Amino acid sequence: MKARSVHVSERAGSSREAALKSLLGAGALLFAAAYGLCLVYLVVRGGGKIASFTSYASPPTGIDNESAVRFVLAACVFGVLGWTAVVLAQMALSRWGRSGWMDVRAGRAVIGAAALLGGLFARDHLPRFLIALPSETHAGGGIGPELFNTIYFAVLSTAITLPVGVGAAVYLARFARSARFVGAVRTALDTLASLPSIVYGLFGFLIFVVSMKAGYSLFAGAFVLALLNLPLVVGIAEESLHAVPRELDEASLALGATRVQTTLRVTLPYAWPGILSALVLSIGRVFAESAPLIMTAGTTISRSNAYSLDPFRGGETLAVHLWYVNSVGLSPDRADVSAGTAAVLVVLVGMTNVLAARLAGFGGAEGSRTKKATR
Amino acid sequence: MGPTVALAQAEREAGDSRSASPARVGDALVRGFLVACAVFVVLTTVALLGFLARTGIRGAAAVGVGALLTGDIWKPEAGVYGGLALIAGTFISAIAAVFIGAVPAVLASVWLTEFAPRSIRMGYRRVMEIASAVPSVVYGWLALVYLVPLMSGLAHAIRGHDAPVTGEGLASAGLLLGIMIAPTVLLLALDALSRVPGPLREASAAVGASPWQTAFHVSVPYAWRSILVAIFFGFARAAGETMAVQMVIGGARRLPTDLLFSPTTTISAQIVMDMQEARPGSTESDVLFSMALVLLLVSVAVVLVTRGLSRSKQGAR
Repeated sequence: MKARSVHVSERAGSSREAALKSLLGAGALLFAAAYGLCLVYLVVRGGGKIASFTSYASPPTGIDNESAVRFVLAACVFGVLGWTAVVLAQMALSRWGRSGWMDVRAGRAVIGAAALLGGLFARDHLPRFLIALPSETHAGGGIGPELFNTIYFAVLSTAITLPVGVGAAVYLARFARSARFVGAVRTALDTLASLPSIVYGLFGFLIFVVSMKAGYSLFAGAFVLALLNLPLVVGIAEESLHAVPRELDEASLALGATRVQTTLRVTLPYAWPGILSALVLSIGRVFAESAPLIMTAGTTISRSNAYSLDPFRGGETLAVHLWYVNSVGLSPDRADVSAGTAAVLVVLVGMTNVLAARLAGFGGAEGSRTKKATR
Repeated sequence: MGPTVALAQAEREAGDSRSASPARVGDALVRGFLVACAVFVVLTTVALLGFLARTGIRGAAAVGVGALLTGDIWKPEAGVYGGLALIAGTFISAIAAVFIGAVPAVLASVWLTEFAPRSIRMGYRRVMEIASAVPSVVYGWLALVYLVPLMSGLAHAIRGHDAPVTGEGLASAGLLLGIMIAPTVLLLALDALSRVPGPLREASAAVGASPWQTAFHVSVPYAWRSILVAIFFGFARAAGETMAVQMVIGGARRLPTDLLFSPTTTISAQIVMDMQEARPGSTESDVLFSMALVLLLVSVAVVLVTRGLSRSKQGAR
């Protein structure tokens, strides 16, 4: 007996399924397109504010550290522009089969040169919006101190998250002895991960502002953000530590290294890209968070110490500023200021996401580190 | 656990052979630091919960739990604390967000894992990752500028031209929260669906099921618990969201006069607004902590439910 071949399309009801399938697909694509267009709109709407480099030199306003801040900001802006150009050039060259024309070192040199030249020569020609002080009542306010605070928050909170988060992850992945204690740590992390961010804000408020009477401070905000990020960082770091092959550890131990030496010299370097990508993601959350910062770092910018590195002063970030301008502020151009702030935030968050994805791609057995070692 | 035992043994032997070398001191320091990190995590969590519970219980005791949970007038300046409006606002907007945001997110994730061409999957994911990382205040601002006027027009179109309705209210808040949680739910549901073993799909195809049947009778049921966890996570995020909701809900401290289109408030929005003025240690401030405790209990309940779901999944297999 010969079996008749049946094609899928001959099955009963297949036309209905095909219709449903394309309906679902159209819906899903529309769904993503809405978000994509929303992101593009945000960048385009506020893009004018953040891309209008001035032909004249902006006069200094006489705030401490201002020229240093302008230098760093210009270096970052031009460094990112250089990085984008290098990535685009590499993509174009590899498409034409000439990827040998520009190796990694040349790319790095281009980025470094762009950053240095931009910092040296273009720091006074940055868009006014990015370096001016905010204004609550007049048009033309900028986001200079907010931008500075946002980056400074990222540095401060990473300074806490990095040692504590990686330390706890290494402990859980490699040195844990007592199952009960490990259970306690995991329960604590699960609880932290589930808490709404406002609860962290209340905790920081209670500890730093009420009990210690320290007032609103960047340190309090950074501490709270570090706590908020701990579950994420410990989770991803532990996962990348678990992905390190046991054979590597065993080889190192067989050579006579102690377990701590093995962890520091073998395990951690292997897992490092994954850990870095967790840190970058956590920085993205620092950029985005607002409620806990309002309660711990306040909503004010003081002119006298706008660019001060003192962590015990208060100050608002970009996200807080966006809320403040729309809820409390009275400036007539708040729509434009909000658009510009939102565009900067979206660009910053987008960059951290791209960077985290790239870093995560470097890790593990397929990573560039391993490829380099086994070439 | 085999390798761990082997490592522990190897280490013990290494330790015996070189017990008092300077490297050992450094090792002990590093170990101490690692343990300290883990202890820090536990102690901070305990401290966080403890401080919050102490202050919150003090506030609840001063007002009375019954009055706090069922009173519908919240007037700190008159010493009246009825949290019903806050609790209702939080729950209604979060549940609305789940229906508005999570359902399309789950459907889209099914399409993406089961039917979408491979070439667009990565790009789709990237867009959604960035959308889920966009600060909530940015969504809040967009909603304030575009959604609220739209809702105001809709409200007047439905309830009559001069009805006492506004664009600010639970409808805007629910819609905004739905838009905000959808990317997160989608990403979590994608992860859940991508863990469905390939052989299951192949077996389903081998017995003659169409891709549609495979998707909805094999993959989705397999991943269902994890998808539920994703939805619960979205609910918790919506219930805890603060600034964005505060911008569109209107900030009236009472139950909404019109379920969809009149100003009301949520727990977290009220905390962030009132905490600025409340004197620390006063009942006014303590009661806000009691409300935060309600929020915390909800999120702990969500954790327990999700843990239960993932545990019974392990038990079933």
